[in-house]
Amino acid sequence: MNIEDKLNAARSRSKMYSSIRSFFDGRDYLEVDTPTLSPDLIPEPTIENFSTTFRNEFMGSKDLYLIPSPEVYMKRLIAQGSGSIYEFSHCFRNSEQLGRIHNIEFSMLEYYSVGMDEKDSIKLTEELINETHLPDAPDYALPPFRVMSVNEAMKKYCDIDLDKCQSQRALYEKALKLGLSESQGRESWEQTFNRIFLTFVEPNLPQDRPLVLDKYPSQIDCLATNYDDGPYKRRWEMYMGGNEVANCYDELKDVEKIEEYYRKEYAKLVRERSETGTVIPDVDLDFASLFENFPQCSGVAIGMDRLLMSQMNIPNIEGVIFFPFSDIIH
Amino acid sequence: MIKAGQIERGTALLIKGKPFVCIDREFVNPGKGSAFVRLKLRNPGSGQILAETMKTQDNAEEITVDDRDCQYLYNDGENFHLMMTDTYDQIEVPMSAFPDYELLLKDGETYRCTFWESELLDLQLPPKVVYLVEEAEEAIKGDTVQGATKYVTTECGLKVKCPIFIKKGEKIRVNTETKEYIERVNS
Repeated sequence: MNIEDKLNAARSRSKMYSSIRSFFDGRDYLEVDTPTLSPDLIPEPTIENFSTTFRNEFMGSKDLYLIPSPEVYMKRLIAQGSGSIYEFSHCFRNSEQLGRIHNIEFSMLEYYSVGMDEKDSIKLTEELINETHLPDAPDYALPPFRVMSVNEAMKKYCDIDLDKCQSQRALYEKALKLGLSESQGRESWEQTFNRIFLTFVEPNLPQDRPLVLDKYPSQIDCLATNYDDGPYKRRWEMYMGGNEVANCYDELKDVEKIEEYYRKEYAKLVRERSETGTVIPDVDLDFASLFENFPQCSGVAIGMDRLLMSQMNIPNIEGVIFFPFSDIIH
Repeated sequence: MIKAGQIERGTALLIKGKPFVCIDREFVNPGKGSAFVRLKLRNPGSGQILAETMKTQDNAEEITVDDRDCQYLYNDGENFHLMMTDTYDQIEVPMSAFPDYELLLKDGETYRCTFWESELLDLQLPPKVVYLVEEAEEAIKGDTVQGATKYVTTECGLKVKCPIFIKKGEKIRVNTETKEYIERVNS
C-alpha cells in the first residue's frame, strides 16, 4: 500500500474522529484522557499483556502494564460521579496474529452511558454510526442494524439450542456430532461453545448490514449483568462485514459478584500463565469496592481501525494504519 | 504430533483416519474467549473441505509426506491429469479438490506435489507465476488517468485486473494466491 492510500485513510480517520467528538459533545458526554500505562489491570485470562518497569531512585521500581482497554480507569471515573464519558485511546494486546484484523497496538473508542442499559446502547450506537459515517461507506457498514441473539444464531446455523445444552457433556456431544475433533484433556463449556461458534456460526453470519449479536451465554464470564430469565448475559458484539467491531455490556455493579469475578478469573489467569510463562499482570483487589455507589451504566468499546476498514471498504487493518506492527518489526 | 497452534498452510494431518492438508489457518480470540486456531482442511481424494477449530494447545496428528515433481498434462473437466517425472506414472485428481487451479496450471509445466503413501495431497503452485496475455481490451486513446485498469485474459483463461498499458502477447507476473497482477515481465 502506498503513502497516498495511507494519507487518504488518515484523512478519513480524522474526519470520523471529529464527527464522533461532535456527536458525544452534543449529548453532554465528557471526553476523558486516562493512563495507558497502569500498575494493575482487570483480570482477563484470554487477553495477553505487555509489561514494563517503572524506576525511580527514591521510590524504587514497580511493574506496569500497557492497557488492553481503558475500562479500568474509565470505571474509576464513573464511580466518582463523572457522568457519561468517552475516550479515544491506544490499547495493546499481545500474542495476536498480525494482519487482516489485528495489530497489537490499536485504536479504541470507549463510551460509558450513565442511566442506560445495553439495549439503549444499541440505539445510541446506531445513531452514532448514522451521524458519523463516511459519505462513501458501503451498505454493510451502515444502519439499520440487524439484531440476533447468540442462541438464535446457534439454532439457525448449527441446529443447537443452548437452552437444552447447558451441561458440558450435552454440548460436547453436539460438537462431535457436527464433526469437530475430540478435545485433548478436559474442555470447558465455554471452549466447546467457542469451537462450535467459530467453525459453524461466525463464518455464516449475515454480512449485508451491521449485525448485533446479543445475549451471550453466562458461561463466558465477564463484567456484564445477567438476564433474570435465562443463562445469558446483557452483552452484545457488533459485526461489520464479518469482523467483530464493537462489544457492549450492561455494566455489572454488584460488589460481591465483581469480587467473585476478580477472584476466579485472576486465579485462572495465574494458573494458565504460570504454565506458559507469559506476563501475569497485577490486579487491584479493592477494585470491587468502587462499585458501592456505581450508577446504572452501559459501556461500548469500538475498534476504530476496524470501523474505519469497514467504512472505507478496505480488507486489511494494515491499510488504515501508517506503521503496522508487522512492518516496523522488520 | 503437532500443536494445533503450529499448523501452517500445507501441513498434512491425519483426521479420523483420513489425510487432510491445511489450506487456510487463522488464529482467533473470540471476544472474551481463549485462543483458537480456525482451520480449513482439504482431502484431495474426495475434494472434501473440512472446517475445524482447535484450541492452540491441542495436539493434531501430523503425517510424513513426500514431495515429488509432476508434470501437468491436461484436465478433462472433472479431473486433473498429471505425470510423475521420475516414474512416468500418470495420476488423476478431482478438480473440485483444487478450486480455480484450472485457471492457474500451465500445460506441460512441472509442479512440486505432496504425496502421502500413494495419495496426492497437495499440488504446490509457486507464489508468483508468469503468464502470457492472450486477450486484452484495447486501451482507449487519450485515457491517461493514473491508476486506470482493465481486464486481460491469460493463456490459462484467468481474468486479471491490470494497468491499461498491458497488451496482448505480453507477459505478466501474477500472485497465484490472490490472483492479482504484480508486474509486467520483459521477454
